[in-house]
Amino acid sequence: MSQQHDMSALNDTDLVRAAQKGDMGTFEELVARHRDKIYARAFSMMRNEDEALDLSQEAWVKGWQRLVQFQGDSSFVTWMTRIVINLCLDQIRKQKRQRAESIEVLEEESGGVERYMPVSTPNPSAGLERTELRRRIDRALSQLSEEHRTVLVLHEFEELEYKQIAKRMGCSIGTVMSRLFYARRRMASLLASLKRENAE
Amino acid sequence: MNHNLELKLQAWLDGELSGPESRRVGQEIAQDAAANQLVTELRALKSTLAGNEPVMTISETREFYWSKIERQIQRETQVASPVHAARPANWLRWLSPLAGFSAMTCLLLMAVRPFAAPTFDEISATGEGMEAVTFHDQSAGMTVVWLADAMPAQPLEAPDAKTPDTGDSEVEME
Repeated sequence: MSQQHDMSALNDTDLVRAAQKGDMGTFEELVARHRDKIYARAFSMMRNEDEALDLSQEAWVKGWQRLVQFQGDSSFVTWMTRIVINLCLDQIRKQKRQRAESIEVLEEESGGVERYMPVSTPNPSAGLERTELRRRIDRALSQLSEEHRTVLVLHEFEELEYKQIAKRMGCSIGTVMSRLFYARRRMASLLASLKRENAE
Repeated sequence: MNHNLELKLQAWLDGELSGPESRRVGQEIAQDAAANQLVTELRALKSTLAGNEPVMTISETREFYWSKIERQIQRETQVASPVHAARPANWLRWLSPLAGFSAMTCLLLMAVRPFAAPTFDEISATGEGMEAVTFHDQSAGMTVVWLADAMPAQPLEAPDAKTPDTGDSEVEME
């Protein structure tokens, strides 16, 4: 307990340095500090609590195994987030191979419903408390297709550029742009309808 | 509005266009009301999402969550170095060639044996009134014991007389 207390005074860089020398106790402290964020990223992509939990733990195992490769070019949590994103993308690919092409994927190629939607309310978040806004965003995200949600999460929350997303997802930049556009339009529509539902 | 223009407007908003192209699209947005409206919508959504990612927390305790990770790390470490985990003691490593040599010798002996001269022992023992001859054939794994009456042969007596034992034999298999 006192050891944990001592470690809480150390910053991530110090903990990483000690963990790179094989100190598993310091790595455990890093896990405790950032596990929610890594889990949240996995959940935002998978939308399944069990899968997100398993993948987040797998990411930590990989993180430990590759820790010597971490040079500190980004923050430790950013590095770990990249690992969990890659694991989620691998998992999504596996699942995609296992199931038939969905209607949403077909719609994506032709533009989908969002292609013809009128431009909606300028600000779907106006007048909402942050907690309520987050709840609605979460609900809207769950209604997006896997491909749309993944691109949106990587761009809006991870702030990755188009080419970085294309590389990670193994598709063209054009596909990323297209998916992102429809994901945004669908999100705008979903948030607007959630707002209307709440007003009624 | 065509789809290419929509994607260009989005790329402009995301700062993905080069300098000259960005300026050109910027001018188009200023002149086209529909383009301007679409950019306004996209920008509003972008600002709504920024910093408002849903917060998730793990319900498992710190210790339980970590224990699964720790176990997996240990398991994969063992799998990654099976040679290290299963490395025999130094002295045991010398047994391998010795065992191989022994196995070769056994095989050689078994191969040569059928051509060797048959080996058998014959033991003869004579007691009072009884003679026993033991014959042991190693190649056949067989022992034969003859038990014979050592008394000289007697002339045949009457039919009701007891028939002499002229050599019962007993066979034992090893």
